[in-house]
Amino acid sequence: MARMKFLCDADRCIECNGCVTACKNEHEVPWGVNRRRVVTLDDGVPGEKSISVACMHCTDAPCAAVCPVDCFYTTDDGIVLHDKDLCIGCGYCLYACPFGAPQFPQKEAFGVRGKMDKCTFCAGGPEEDNSAAEHEKYGRNRVAEGKLPLCAEMCSTKALLAGDGDQVSDIYRERITKRGGRPETWGWDTAYKKGDA
Amino acid sequence: MTSNIIKASRLLALAMVVGITSLSSTGCTQRSEITWHEPGVYKGSDDPLLAKQQDPQHIEALKERFIMGQSDR
Repeated sequence: MARMKFLCDADRCIECNGCVTACKNEHEVPWGVNRRRVVTLDDGVPGEKSISVACMHCTDAPCAAVCPVDCFYTTDDGIVLHDKDLCIGCGYCLYACPFGAPQFPQKEAFGVRGKMDKCTFCAGGPEEDNSAAEHEKYGRNRVAEGKLPLCAEMCSTKALLAGDGDQVSDIYRERITKRGGRPETWGWDTAYKKGDA
Repeated sequence: MTSNIIKASRLLALAMVVGITSLSSTGCTQRSEITWHEPGVYKGSDDPLLAKQQDPQHIEALKERFIMGQSDR
């Protein structure tokens, strides 16, 4: 069984925000809700790095662990989804998530006000696949159509990869072998570099 | 004229009786479909995608899609 994963190659990301736009457009995500965003480290400084961040569909998802109504479920291929009919909009998942993935709409524009919204890996929710109810609450279900997340498929530099973890790691390993080293975006040099307080 | 007034007052009385009866019986029924919470157990509706993910053709289609669209050229 495949294990679906996102990976953003920081050496390739050019901060074009194409992934953010693709996600917004595909799922008709309202203003104020960002299922995906691009974070830039050392913005404006030579050597800056950007990474595209959304729900990482954690294996042991902390959002699911803290949810008081257990509205989360994980599909067989590791996609973490939730049921908005059960969600009470408490916000515990936002505190637990290390990526800031859970979003809470401020207006009555996408699903019900106050219910949590997040990246679904373009796999919708528990409603009938690609039904009007599913589209209104969770956006389009591309996985049910045999497609992969649009953010990755739209990425012009192929920095953002989304698919079976084995296939994703094969591609990344090949790139690293060609480059002759891994990026120091999250490494020791970033965490303990000189000049930081 | 008088019969109309009597008719209207009877209707009004009937409406009041129905209203008072329905108000007084509010909350007397018991909901049978209560979902009891159990820690760590998802009790929402079933996602039809889960069944689809077992289909080998669907799995293969996603793998081919990845190679076609995301592998380096």
